[in-house]
Amino acid sequence: MENALEIKNLCKKYDNFELKNVTFNLPKGMIMGFIGENGAGKTTTIKAILDIIKSYSGEIKILGLDNKANDKKIKEDIGVVLDDMFFPEILTPNDINNTMKSIYKNWDTKMFYDYLKEFSLLPNKQIKTFSKGMQKKLEIITSLSHHPKLLILDEPTSGLDPVARAEIIDIFQSILEKDDCSILLSSHITTDLEHIADYITFINNGEIVLSKTTDELLDNYGIAKCKETEFKKIAKEDYIKYKKNKYGYEILVPDKKDFKTKYDISIIDKITLDDLMVLMIKGEE
Amino acid sequence: MIGFIKKDLAMIKSNFKLLGILIIVYAIMGFSGEMNISFILPFMSVMIMISTFSYDNYNKWDAYSISLPDGRKNSVKAKYVATILLILIVAVITLILSFIISYINTKTIDYEQILVSMLGTIFGTLLVLTFMYPIIYKFGIEKARIAIFLIVFGVAIVGGFILQYIDLSFIGNSLSFLENYLVIILIVVTVVMVYISYKISEKIFSKKEF
Repeated sequence: MENALEIKNLCKKYDNFELKNVTFNLPKGMIMGFIGENGAGKTTTIKAILDIIKSYSGEIKILGLDNKANDKKIKEDIGVVLDDMFFPEILTPNDINNTMKSIYKNWDTKMFYDYLKEFSLLPNKQIKTFSKGMQKKLEIITSLSHHPKLLILDEPTSGLDPVARAEIIDIFQSILEKDDCSILLSSHITTDLEHIADYITFINNGEIVLSKTTDELLDNYGIAKCKETEFKKIAKEDYIKYKKNKYGYEILVPDKKDFKTKYDISIIDKITLDDLMVLMIKGEE
Repeated sequence: MIGFIKKDLAMIKSNFKLLGILIIVYAIMGFSGEMNISFILPFMSVMIMISTFSYDNYNKWDAYSISLPDGRKNSVKAKYVATILLILIVAVITLILSFIISYINTKTIDYEQILVSMLGTIFGTLLVLTFMYPIIYKFGIEKARIAIFLIVFGVAIVGGFILQYIDLSFIGNSLSFLENYLVIILIVVTVVMVYISYKISEKIFSKKEF
């Protein structure tokens, strides 16, 4: 399967933080949820992909092309929503349309205004008069209106209420069906990702902890709950992390079925991405 | 690059009113024979363009612009082109107004004096741009702000003093045989200066991380 995005051994060092050999692939036509706690390296990875940070090592290929050597060509084909970075707030959606139609070869004015109408955003109002949710919607609309082949979205649904989030998620899904687009979507709101993401990539402390299909993850992974005596019988290679609480132990297991056949533990819950994140980050090995 | 210029010009739309008022003030002062403040208008236009850096900074436009096609190159180039465009447009308006004022007040038009002083003003204004833009790109608008005020008002006061108290016509009189060359030299120096400044800013921005 061809990849829309390939990242290999991406490293970037700051004084107090480091990206360590970040490697993952996003196959074409898929949505990848990029999860991790604040400061885990999601935004740094996205900035490296977009060349907003420069001095990093490793290889990044976007739509089959090296990101540094083919910067202009690549950027014609990607749509971007960045956390807190956008047009100056004294501009209006009309100004954005005027600007973008001279920047992108494929800018679709009709599509842009159709979306504005759909989301009830007035074209002649300054961005600063919009609520945070409306601003986010405008950023998303802007990222979509040149028919991108790859969308890179950093926290696009943060600050939106559940109704607006659902609207946005619907749009992402319809874009995928219509335009054969691929999406890398970083988010804290993991419930959204469970619904739409084909792949989940989890970054913690600058390292990729896992990158798998969502189905594989939610079907195979589980949380076994047991008492201390039972926990002590479990071999280390059969679980990833565990957490002790006042009722007993919560154990993150990578293969529920295999675990069930080996151990006599009756409670093995389905996992959510939130559980996975908490156990991976806070759990002990 | 056109898109980026459109964005910069759209940002200063609201300042056109201010420029309009200044032009009227200039006209009134000119007709009443008061002080010549024609140099203020081009200086105001560079100040207005510098204010766009604050908005860019506040909404982190620079980082976003890099995600657009050829963003690193074009956002710097557009800033220079938009500024020069605005300065020239305002300079032409001021020039025409100066001719009219000169004609109404004296029934003659002193083309030479007016043109030389406007050329000096444009040179001074572009000098501000030449020094300020690389400083802004290097250190950011917040840190560069103090330097901007010192430079702009310093140049404006010195420029005003020169225009007010020194008769610039000596340039035309004493160097009349060199006059054409002088203008050409000034234009060439200005173009080279601005180009070097642009290249420095472009280089700074091409390495910048956000």
